[in-house]
Amino acid sequence: MLKFLARTTALAAMIAVTLPAHAETLKMWGPEQITEPLVAQLWNGIKADFEKANPGVTIEFMPPTGTISNGAVQAAIQSDAGPDVILTNSGIGRISVVKNAKQVMPLTEQYEKRGWKDQIYPWLYTELKSQFGGEIYEVPDGLDALGIWYHKDVFDQAGWKIPATWAEFEALMKSIEATGLQPIAIGPRTTGSAGHLFGNLLQSASGKEVIGKALRREIAWDDPSVAAGAVRLQKLVEAGDIKKEMAGLDLDGASRLWFNKRAAMFVAGPWFTANARKAGYDLTNAGYAPMPSDIKGAAIPTGGVGWSWLVPVNSKQPELAMKWIDFTLSDAVMKKRAQDPASTMIYPREIPGVEPPTPVLKEIFAAAAGGVGYNPSVYLPGPVLDTYFQVIQGLISGQIGGEDGMKQIQAKMAEAK
Amino acid sequence: MVIPETPGKVVAPLSTAPAVAGHTGGTFARMSKRGVAGSGSSDGDAGTAFWLMAPALALYAVFTLLPIAATFWLSFNGSAGFNTSASFVGFDNYAKAAQDPIVWKGLAHTFLWLAYHVVMAGGLGLLLALAVSRLRITQVFFRAAFFLPHLVSLAVVGVIWANIYDPFFGLMNTALTRIGLGAFTQGWLSDPALVLFSVNIASSWQGFGLYMLLFIAGLQNIDHSLYDAAEVDGANAFQKLIYVTLPGLREVTTFVVSLAMINGLKGFATVFVMTNGGPFYQSELITTYIYRLAFQSQDHGLAAVLCILLSLLAIAITIVFNRWRARLSQ
Repeated sequence: MLKFLARTTALAAMIAVTLPAHAETLKMWGPEQITEPLVAQLWNGIKADFEKANPGVTIEFMPPTGTISNGAVQAAIQSDAGPDVILTNSGIGRISVVKNAKQVMPLTEQYEKRGWKDQIYPWLYTELKSQFGGEIYEVPDGLDALGIWYHKDVFDQAGWKIPATWAEFEALMKSIEATGLQPIAIGPRTTGSAGHLFGNLLQSASGKEVIGKALRREIAWDDPSVAAGAVRLQKLVEAGDIKKEMAGLDLDGASRLWFNKRAAMFVAGPWFTANARKAGYDLTNAGYAPMPSDIKGAAIPTGGVGWSWLVPVNSKQPELAMKWIDFTLSDAVMKKRAQDPASTMIYPREIPGVEPPTPVLKEIFAAAAGGVGYNPSVYLPGPVLDTYFQVIQGLISGQIGGEDGMKQIQAKMAEAK
Repeated sequence: MVIPETPGKVVAPLSTAPAVAGHTGGTFARMSKRGVAGSGSSDGDAGTAFWLMAPALALYAVFTLLPIAATFWLSFNGSAGFNTSASFVGFDNYAKAAQDPIVWKGLAHTFLWLAYHVVMAGGLGLLLALAVSRLRITQVFFRAAFFLPHLVSLAVVGVIWANIYDPFFGLMNTALTRIGLGAFTQGWLSDPALVLFSVNIASSWQGFGLYMLLFIAGLQNIDHSLYDAAEVDGANAFQKLIYVTLPGLREVTTFVVSLAMINGLKGFATVFVMTNGGPFYQSELITTYIYRLAFQSQDHGLAAVLCILLSLLAIAITIVFNRWRARLSQ
C-alpha cells in the first residue's frame, strides 16, 4: 500500500513538474483583417513569440465583429465572456463611449509603472493626458494620416500634379472632370469614408488650430471660420466636381471606382494599402499628398489615434493583458510590424532605421512627419457623430448647404455637453 | 395519457364529455367534469399543469417579459451606454422623443415603407400567383424560382441590391444605358426622393415569394364549379377575376396583408445594409433610428422610448386591421 502511495505521489510530482506551472489563456479582440493571410501570418508570428517568452500562456484571437462605433466592442465586454484585451478603432470620441460606460480600465498608472509614457511620441502622451482630466484609458497602437491618394500613371500621362493652393486644386478638379474621370471618389454610406474627405476639407479651409478649437468647443461649429470647409464641399457638389450619386456609395463602392481608375483621387490613410492589396491594385502606382491649403502649414494629413489597446474592466487576465501591451510596445515587435508587408499604419513612436514596406507608405510617413491635423470623426463625442455623418451625406447629396449643416452639428454639440 | 376504466370501454372524447360523464368515460371526461363543477381536487391538476408549462413560461419570461420590463425601465432612465448606474429621469426621454424631428421623419417613413411593402410585395405576390396558377407543366418550376429569393437573408439581399444600384458599375444603370435609356439612369440610393422606394424594392423582392405561395394555396381552395357557373352566365376572364377569384381570396388576402404589415413594420435589415437611414435621414425608419441611438449614440433611454412607440404602433395597426376585417366579413 505504502509502495503504491509512494509511486502515485512520485507520478503526480512528475506531472506537476512537466506541465506548465500556470496554464493561462489571453483572449484578444483583434486585429482587424486577421482573416487575411498576410495579416494572419504576421500576427501568428507575434503570438508565437509572446507564447515562447511566456511559457504556459496561450493567445486566443477573437476576430472582431465590429467596433465601438457600432456597439460590437461594448456588447463583447458586456457579455462577460469577452476579450481580456482589445485592439480596436479608437480616438477620444470612441474611447469616451466605453469610458463613460465604465467598461474599460484606466491605464494611467501603467503608463508610469511600465514606462509606456516613454514608448510613445511625447506629443501623443500629452494629448492623451489632456483628454479625460489626466486619466488615460488606451494605449495607442497606430496613428492615421488621411490624405489624397492618386494614380501616378494617370497623373503623369495627363501632366497633373497635386497643387499647393485651393484655387489650383479646384482647377485640377475641373481638368480631371473634363476627361470624363471622376475627380474624387467618396463612399459616404460608410461613415468613416465620409469623414475622411470632410475632415480633409475642414483642415484645408480652416487649419489645424481652428478645428482643434472647434473640437474643444472653444469656437462654434457654425462659425464661418469652421464652416468654410463645409461650404467648400457644397460648392464642389454644386459644380459637379463631386457627383451627388456618390452619396449612394459605400467605402467598397468608392474604392472600386478608384482602383478601376474611373476616379482620379481618393481620400484615405495608410490602411488603404490593405484594401489596395486585396483589390490587386499595384501599390507602386499609388501616390499620396495632403489636401492643398492656402493656410501656411495647413497642408498636412488629418488623423490622430486610429487604433488602440484597451483593457476591459471584466478582463479575466488583466496582468497578462498589461504584459501583452508591454510586448507590443517593445522595439522587437514594433520593428517586426513596421517592416512587414502587412503593415498598414503609422506607429505610435519613431522607429529608427525601419524602411516602410511600400513606397506609398513612405510618402505617407513623410507627409505625417511634421504631425497630423484632426479627423473630427475620431474626436467628436459619440452622440454628435451620427449628425456629423448625416450632414456630410446631406452635403454630398445636395440636400443641405454648408452653413446649415454646420448649424446642425453645432446644435448637437451643445446638446451633448 | 388516457386509460379506460374498464377494459373494452370506449373513452369519450373531450368535446362530448359533459354529455356522457357520470356513467362512462375516462380521465379526460372526469377532468372535464371536475373543471365544470369546480371541485376541490382541481388544485392538483392546476399544479400539474403549471409544472408542465413551467419551462415554456420560464423561457417566455426570460426572453420576452423581462426584456419588455427592461425596455420600460430604460425608457425612464438616462443611461450612458452600457453603464448600469443609470439615473431616473421621469418622462424626459418621452419629451425628447416628441421634440426630435428625426423621430417624426422616421415615423412617416415607416408608414410609407409599410405601404410600399404591402402594395409591392403583396401585390406582386398576387399577380404572380394568378399567372403561375394558370401554368400546367412549368408551375412547379416557377413556384420554386419565385420563392427562391425568400430563402436569401435580408442582409445578403441588401448587399446584392446595393451593388445592383451602384451608380457607376451597377446592373440597373448599366442596363438602362445599354438599351438606350441612359436618360433614366438614377442615383438610386442617393436621390432623396427615390431612396426609400429603391430599398423597398429590394425588401419586397425578398418577400413576395412567400405571399405568392399563400395566394396560390388560396386559389387552389376556390371551388371550380363557381368558375363553371360564371362561364355559363357569360362572364369574361376579367369578370371571373373580380366576382369569383378575388372574393374567394378574401381570407388569404387579409392574412397576407396583415403578414405584410408586420413584416413592413419590422423593416430594418435592407435599410441598415443599403443606406443606414441616409442620405441625410431620407431612408430613416424608426427601427434604424432605434439601432443607431442604442448602439452608436449610446442613448438607450430614447431608443427604449422608440421601441415602446413601435410596439404601440404595431398593436394599434393590428386592432384597426382586425376590426376592419371583422366588419368586412359581416
